[in-house]
Amino acid sequence: MIIASFQNIMQILIVLILAAAAIIIVKRDISSLVKTYAAQSLLLSLMAVLLFIETGSISLLFLAVIILVSKTIIIPIFMTRILKRLNIKRDVEFHFLSPMLSLFVSVIIIILVYISFSPLLSELNLFNSSLFFLGATVGIAIVFMGMMVIFTRKQTITNVVGYLTMENGVVLFSLFLTELPLLVEVLIAVDLIMITLLATILAFGIDSTIEEFHNRLNPFQTNRKQSSSEEAEDDDFLPVQSFLDNKNREDDD
Amino acid sequence: MMLSLTTVLSLYAIIGLAVTLLTVVAKSHRTINALSIILPAAYIALALYTLASNVLPNYLLGGNYFFMDHLGIYEVLISGLLFLLAALYAKSYIERSMEIGEMSPNNLKLFYVAFNLLLVVITYAFFSNNLALFWILAELTTAFSAVLVVILNAPKNIGAALKYVFITSTCMLFSFIGLILIFTLTQNNLGAGTLNWSTLMTVASTLSPGILFASFVFTFVGFAAKSGIVPFHAWLPSAHSKAPAPVSAILSGSITSVGIYGIIRMYAVLAQTSELPKISYFLIAFGVISMVVAALTMLNQVNLKKLIGYSTIENMGFLLVGLGLGTPVAVFWTLFYTLAHAFTKASLFFSAGILHHQFESVRLDHIKDALKLQPFASWTLILGAVAIIGMPTSAIFLPKLFILLQAGAFSPYLLFGLLIVFLFATAAIGVFLIKMFSKRSEDGATELKQFNAPLSMKLPIIILLAAVFVLGVFFPQQLNDLLKTIVSELGIR
Repeated sequence: MIIASFQNIMQILIVLILAAAAIIIVKRDISSLVKTYAAQSLLLSLMAVLLFIETGSISLLFLAVIILVSKTIIIPIFMTRILKRLNIKRDVEFHFLSPMLSLFVSVIIIILVYISFSPLLSELNLFNSSLFFLGATVGIAIVFMGMMVIFTRKQTITNVVGYLTMENGVVLFSLFLTELPLLVEVLIAVDLIMITLLATILAFGIDSTIEEFHNRLNPFQTNRKQSSSEEAEDDDFLPVQSFLDNKNREDDD
Repeated sequence: MMLSLTTVLSLYAIIGLAVTLLTVVAKSHRTINALSIILPAAYIALALYTLASNVLPNYLLGGNYFFMDHLGIYEVLISGLLFLLAALYAKSYIERSMEIGEMSPNNLKLFYVAFNLLLVVITYAFFSNNLALFWILAELTTAFSAVLVVILNAPKNIGAALKYVFITSTCMLFSFIGLILIFTLTQNNLGAGTLNWSTLMTVASTLSPGILFASFVFTFVGFAAKSGIVPFHAWLPSAHSKAPAPVSAILSGSITSVGIYGIIRMYAVLAQTSELPKISYFLIAFGVISMVVAALTMLNQVNLKKLIGYSTIENMGFLLVGLGLGTPVAVFWTLFYTLAHAFTKASLFFSAGILHHQFESVRLDHIKDALKLQPFASWTLILGAVAIIGMPTSAIFLPKLFILLQAGAFSPYLLFGLLIVFLFATAAIGVFLIKMFSKRSEDGATELKQFNAPLSMKLPIIILLAAVFVLGVFFPQQLNDLLKTIVSELGIR
């Protein structure tokens, strides 16, 4: 009976984590994106604790603590501070896909991942536990969903959330596949480094481009500037916008 | 007394950290720059010493996380030399950048700290036996090199750096999934999971080939992004063109090598299994696609550094083709090609850097009277271009010829295709140079003030070009032996 309830709780957690990824795809308000990410990480940490209770492996408990500290506390606080400095609230522009369409695409992704990973995972002897199979496929699906956030959103800060979601997917995947000594912990450490780096780059942007920032906020001025001289067009770039957004402007040289 | 490998490896870290600390406390630019020259010089000396005195491959105690084999030392030697010359070149380049307000003097120390740490991280990446460790170090190379890209005060540099970080780290997460798969696979088969390359080499033939292939594909995504293989290449041209010239040289020669190195290691593991033919087709396909896309894009470039960046993509594609062919001869020349390409590319970027400071841009519409104002940089650029397209007597020629011969043996269509791609790439470079050098002021007098490049900027170019053209006609026996040993250590038959 205890095993059965463990299975049920785990299944609920997996579904909730997937739902959080879906919310990240649809939401436009950036601060609630960060909150959803924090909640997803909390669920992940809870899952690691449950797995620890089930298997008794200390490294899982260690992992749970690390996820809790870094992903639900440090990174969200950090992101919120960047948001305050950048003074942006909503991310309303999208590339290629609208949020609802991306949600639809992600359903297709989940199915495709399920089909293509079944033979692979069955070879790794994971079919004996349907729970583990579910966890692993959902993990990979979340990786792709996070990637979609990176490529469909225009704000850099949303892209960061997408990257972090991808990483949660990798952690979920590895939780169910195998017990990785130190590996996942190190992944999270690298992640912290990357976030700090991105924040530094963005901070560079704010310090050096206040002027462009204002030009961009006033579209009429920007248009005039673009048509007036090619040099102006060269420098017209807002650092908080996604790297995809400045593509046309950048490829002119 | 002979130093043990553990000592040598710790020396690498100690020297690296000591130099970085000294950089932080040093006062004058001259001292800081000298430190950045000493660091790669010490690294080269250590590598040569290890090569001469130790029995290789050699493992570090404690889980065999680090090791030194001939491939690692070879790559460290190439990177060390590039960093040495780049540091020599950087002093005047950076000074000029600060003069014209391209770079803030406040960032000077940050530049050199990131520069030194990048070399440390690259070196350890080449010496890591554990694939997960390699993965982490490769991620760190992205972090430090992105700092070097963003160091200039231009908003476009921020865009380029963001693109670089996002694309490579997103792809590297896929590599991580591949590593998890390998770990699980070995855990199921051997009882204890491992990611040590040397262990994987010995047990590869007993593992499930299907999953190994899947994990190769996953790891390939990340490593290919690092080396700018299409379709993960979008970051490369913008980062190469926006970064300061010494950094572009390093990005093109060393950072891309890190990715190729990862692919070579994974390829060597897969070469021990029955999946080898599949992997060959896979690599050749990605290589050819990269070459075609890069060569066609090169045709309508108006920015010199971007053109050179696309040429890097083309050459990386060719490296994949060479590796995919997989015969000992092809792999031998592929390894030599990495060296020849790194040297030639660095010389091209250095020449472009001098032109950049003359015209404050390397776009076609800004360059005028180049031959008259900068005869040295113009002629070295032409020589470098002659070398990169693989003219005889340049170091690129022989590897290109032998890999093409191997490609012809593999399939004549592949040979024809490659030759046509080379034709396009050569035409693109030729047309660009003709356009660039034929632009003159109408009255013959130019209003621009001549930028006098000091010897410290010219010397690296001379050294690199001399090396490229000497290696094209004279192939040292030691290098021959070294490359042969690497091929046999990689288990390629």
